[in-house]
Amino acid sequence: MEVLGTEVEPLLMLSSALLVYGLFLLWRLFEQRRNQNCYLIEYACFKPPDYRKLPTNMCGDIILRNKNLGLSELRFLLKVIVNSGIGEETYGPTTVIEGREASVTHNDALSEMEECFVGTLDELFRKTGVSPREIDTLVVNVSMLAPSPSLAAMIVNHYKMREDIKVFNISGMGCSASLVSIDLVQHMFKSNRKMKAVVVTSESIAPCWYPGCDKSMLLGNCLFRCGGCSILLTNDCSYRHRAKFILKCLVRTHLGANDEAFNCCMQREDDTGTLGFHLGKNLPKAATRAFFENLRMLAPRILPLREIFLFSVRKYLQKLKGSKDVQAEGTPRVNFKAGVDHFCIHTGGAAVIEGIGRSMGLNQYDLEPAWMTLHRFGNTSAGSLWYVLGYMEGKRRLKKKDRVMMLSFGAGFKCNSCMWEVNRDLENPGVWEDCIDKYPLQDLTNPFMEMYGWIHDEEAIVNYVKEHPEYADIAAKRAPATARSS
Amino acid sequence: MPSEAPPALLSSVKLKYVKLGYQYLVNHFLTLVLVPLIAGVALEIARRGPEELLSLWQSLQLDLIHILCSVFALVLVATVYFMSRPRPIYLVDYALFKPPFTCRVPYATFMEHIRLIGNLDAKGVDFQMRILERSGLGEETCLPPANHYIPPTPTMEASRAEAQMVIFSALDSLFERTGLKPKDVDILIVNCSLFSPTPSLSAMVVNKYKMRSNIRSFNLSGMGCSAGLISIDLARDLLQAHPNSNAVVVSTEIITPNWYAGNQRSMLLPNCLFRMGGAAILLSNRPRDSRRAKYRLLHVVRTHKGADDKAYRCVYEEEDAQGNCGISLSKDLMAIAGEALKSNITTIGPLVLPASEQLLFLFSLIARKILNRKIRPYIPDFKQAFEHFCIHAGGRAVIDELQKNLELSAEHVEASRMTLHRFGNTSSSSLWYELNYIEAKGRMRRGDRVWQIGFGSGFKCNSAVWRCNRTIKTPFEGPWSDCIHRYPVDIPDVVKL
Repeated sequence: MEVLGTEVEPLLMLSSALLVYGLFLLWRLFEQRRNQNCYLIEYACFKPPDYRKLPTNMCGDIILRNKNLGLSELRFLLKVIVNSGIGEETYGPTTVIEGREASVTHNDALSEMEECFVGTLDELFRKTGVSPREIDTLVVNVSMLAPSPSLAAMIVNHYKMREDIKVFNISGMGCSASLVSIDLVQHMFKSNRKMKAVVVTSESIAPCWYPGCDKSMLLGNCLFRCGGCSILLTNDCSYRHRAKFILKCLVRTHLGANDEAFNCCMQREDDTGTLGFHLGKNLPKAATRAFFENLRMLAPRILPLREIFLFSVRKYLQKLKGSKDVQAEGTPRVNFKAGVDHFCIHTGGAAVIEGIGRSMGLNQYDLEPAWMTLHRFGNTSAGSLWYVLGYMEGKRRLKKKDRVMMLSFGAGFKCNSCMWEVNRDLENPGVWEDCIDKYPLQDLTNPFMEMYGWIHDEEAIVNYVKEHPEYADIAAKRAPATARSS
Repeated sequence: MPSEAPPALLSSVKLKYVKLGYQYLVNHFLTLVLVPLIAGVALEIARRGPEELLSLWQSLQLDLIHILCSVFALVLVATVYFMSRPRPIYLVDYALFKPPFTCRVPYATFMEHIRLIGNLDAKGVDFQMRILERSGLGEETCLPPANHYIPPTPTMEASRAEAQMVIFSALDSLFERTGLKPKDVDILIVNCSLFSPTPSLSAMVVNKYKMRSNIRSFNLSGMGCSAGLISIDLARDLLQAHPNSNAVVVSTEIITPNWYAGNQRSMLLPNCLFRMGGAAILLSNRPRDSRRAKYRLLHVVRTHKGADDKAYRCVYEEEDAQGNCGISLSKDLMAIAGEALKSNITTIGPLVLPASEQLLFLFSLIARKILNRKIRPYIPDFKQAFEHFCIHAGGRAVIDELQKNLELSAEHVEASRMTLHRFGNTSSSSLWYELNYIEAKGRMRRGDRVWQIGFGSGFKCNSAVWRCNRTIKTPFEGPWSDCIHRYPVDIPDVVKL
C-alpha cells in the first residue's frame, strides 16, 4: 500500500490507530481520576444581627415566662445552664426575642431559615466571586424543618439558579448532618465531571420551642442556638491553588441498630401530647459507643504507619502480660495527635467536649476552639463545626499541610468524622472578626448562678420575690412544687 | 364533508408510509451502508480465489512480532475502554406496599367524614364533593388509620406508626423477594416529602433491620412527588463511586400529619387526592445481578424550575388565615407542569430519540428560525423511543395534559389512570405502582424501554429511563394481584355522588 509516497504496512497503520485511540482513552481516564478530589474553596458562617443576642438575664426571663414549669424544673434548668459553657452573646430566633416563642407560625420558621441562607450565601458568593448560576449541585441540611417546596428550592428561587442544578434536601439527620452532606457531595464529585457544589447547613430553632414541662425535652430549649454555614466545594483541580482545604477521608458510623442508641435522642410527644425533642439519660453512653466505633474505622486511615505499628505492639504486649492487667489499664491509648494537628469537635455541650478530650488525650490548647465556640455561639447543631474551624483560622493556627479532624454526633445515633488537609496558610477570621482578640477567655463561668442562685433556697426565694414582684408566681410554685412530679 | 374526506384520508395514508420509510432509512442508515459494502467485499474474495488470497497474505510480510504487538495493542485498548465505561446500574427488584382493606376510603366514607369533621360549610362540602367526582379516584384507595378518626388525629406517634406500617411492609416484601439480608445493604436512601422526624426515617429503618454501622444512609425530605427519581439519581451516583455494592431506595409519603383542617379552597385538593402508598427498590451494580435484574437504568434527567417565581409558588405549603397548615395549589399548575416537561424533554430527547426524530426536530427548528416563525413546532414522537410510559398519577388533569402534550394513546397512559383509580395519588411511589401494573398485565418484554416522569413542588420535572432486562412473567404477587383481572376500568369524567 502506498501512502504519501512511502510504503506503509496496513497492519502498522491499524496498530498505530489503535494505540492513538488507547492513549486518548487513557488520558480521559486520567482526567476523570484527577478531578475526583473534594476541594473546599470557601465557607461563610452566619452571624445573626445583634438584637438576637441572648444574654443571661433575657434567658432567665424567657424560661420564667413558661408558666407550666414547677420549681424542680426551674432548678434543674438552672443547673443545666450554669454548667453548659454557653456565654452572653449566643443568638436566639426572632420569635423568642419578641416574646412569642409559644405561637410560632410557618412563615416565622421560613423567614428564620431565609435570613440564615441569604446571610451566608451572599457572603460566600461575594468572597469567592462565583456566580449562583455556576453552581451544579446544592445540598441543604436542616434537621427539624422540611417544608414543601424544600428549603433547597427556596435557595434556587432566591438566587435564580440554573434549571439543570442537582438539588438535595436532607432532613432529620441530626447535628452530624453537615458531614452527611459533605459525604453526598464527595460521592457526586467522584461520579461526575467538573462541578461546583454548595452545601448549606443550619438548624431550625424557632418552631421547636417546647412549651411543656418534661425535663428531658426542656434541655433543647436551653441548649440550641441559631447558626448556620454555607460551604463552596469543587472537584475542579484548576481551583487547587485557591482552595482552603482538601478532603482526605470521611467516615460515617450509624449505631441505629442498637435500640438504646436509637431512642436516646428522639422527637416525640410528651405525656400531655406536646411535641418536643427528648434527650435521654443514656445519650452520653450512646455517644461514647458511636465515637469509639467511628475511631476504630478512622484511625487506620489517618494515623501514620508508625503509630499504628506502635499501638499494635503495645496491645500485643498487654495481651501477653495477662488478662488481669488489661482490666486495670484499659486499652492502650492511641496517640491521635501523631496524625492530626487540629481537632474540630461538635459543640454539643460541655460534657461532649470534655468527654472527647479525655478519650483522645487532648489538652487545653486542642480543645480551646471548641470551648470558645460553645461560649460565643452555643450549640448551633449541624453548623457548629464550621464556627470552630473559623476560630482556628482566626487564630492563625492553620498552616499549609496541617491536618484538621472534624468530629460530630447526631440523632440516630450517628458519629461522623472527616479529615481535611490545609492547602495554604489561612488567616481570615470570618464570623469571629469582631471578637477574636477577646479570646481565649480564661474564665468561662456565666453569671447565671449569681443571678438565679436564689432559686435553690426557700428563704432566698421569698426575699427575692419581695424585691421583684414580677416573679410572684414563683413563690406560688413553692408549695405545689414538691407534689408536682415530672 | 364526505367528498373531502377520501382525498385527505388517502394523502394521510400516503404520508404515513412516507414517514415510515423515512424512519427506516435514517434509523438503519449504518446497516444500509455496510450491508452492500460487506456483500461487495465477499464477492471480491469469492472471485479472487484461495491461491490469490494466500499470496496476498504472504505479501504483507507479517511476522510474529508484528502480530504480537498488534494483539497487545488491541487488548490494551479494549481493557482501557471497558475500564472507563460507567458501571451499569441494575434494578434487581422492587416491592410495593399493599394497604390493608381496613384502611379503605370509599366515596361515601370520605364524604361522610367531610360532613362530620365540620370544618367546611355547606358550600365547602359541595366543592369537596365536586373535586372527588372529577378526581379519577376509585373506591379502594386507602388513608392511614389516624385519618379515619373524626376529626383526624395527626400526632407524631400516629405518623411514625403509619411510616412503620408502610415502610417495613414494603421492605419485608423486598428482602423476601430478592433474598437480600439487611446486613448486606450498603446504601440506604429514604425519601418522604411531608414527614421528617428526628431521628430520620432512614435511621428508623436501620434500627428495625439492624443494619451495619458503616451503612451510607440519606434521608431526603420536602422534595415533592418527584423525589423518588431524585433518590434513584443519588443512588446511581453513589453506586458509581462504590463498585460491587447495592442500594435500597424507599419512596413513600406519610399522609397522617398532612390533613388540612381548614376551609380554603386552594388547599382542599390534597385531602382528596393523596393516599397511602410506599415502594422499596433494590439497585445494584454487581455483575452477578445482571442476569436476575428486572431493569437497567439508562438515564435520569432532572429539571428544576425554581428560578421562576410563579413555578416556585405553584405548590406551596403555607398557613391559611386561621393558622391551619396546608398545601395550596395555584391555578396555573398545569401550564407550569407543561413548561417543566418541555424543558425536561429538551434534555432527554437527544439521549433517547432515534436519529430520524432528532433530524426531523432539527429541520423543524431550522425552518422555524430561518423561514417562518408561524410553523408549528415539531413535537418529537416519543412513542418511537419508548414502549411504556409511567406518568406520575398526580391527578387526572396532569395525566390528561401529558397525554395531549406527548400525543400518547389511551393505552400508553392506561397504567397511570388505573393507578390513580386503584391507589390514588401516592406521591413518589406512584411511578412504581404504574410499572407494576404494566408487569401485571404481562406487557413487559425484554428490551422494552420505560419512561418514568415525575413532577414535584419546587417546581421540578424529573424523568428516568429504564430498559427491561428480562421478560417478566405473570402470575406473580403484588398489590395488583387480586384486582388486575378487573382492569382496565372505564373511568367516567364525572362520577355522580
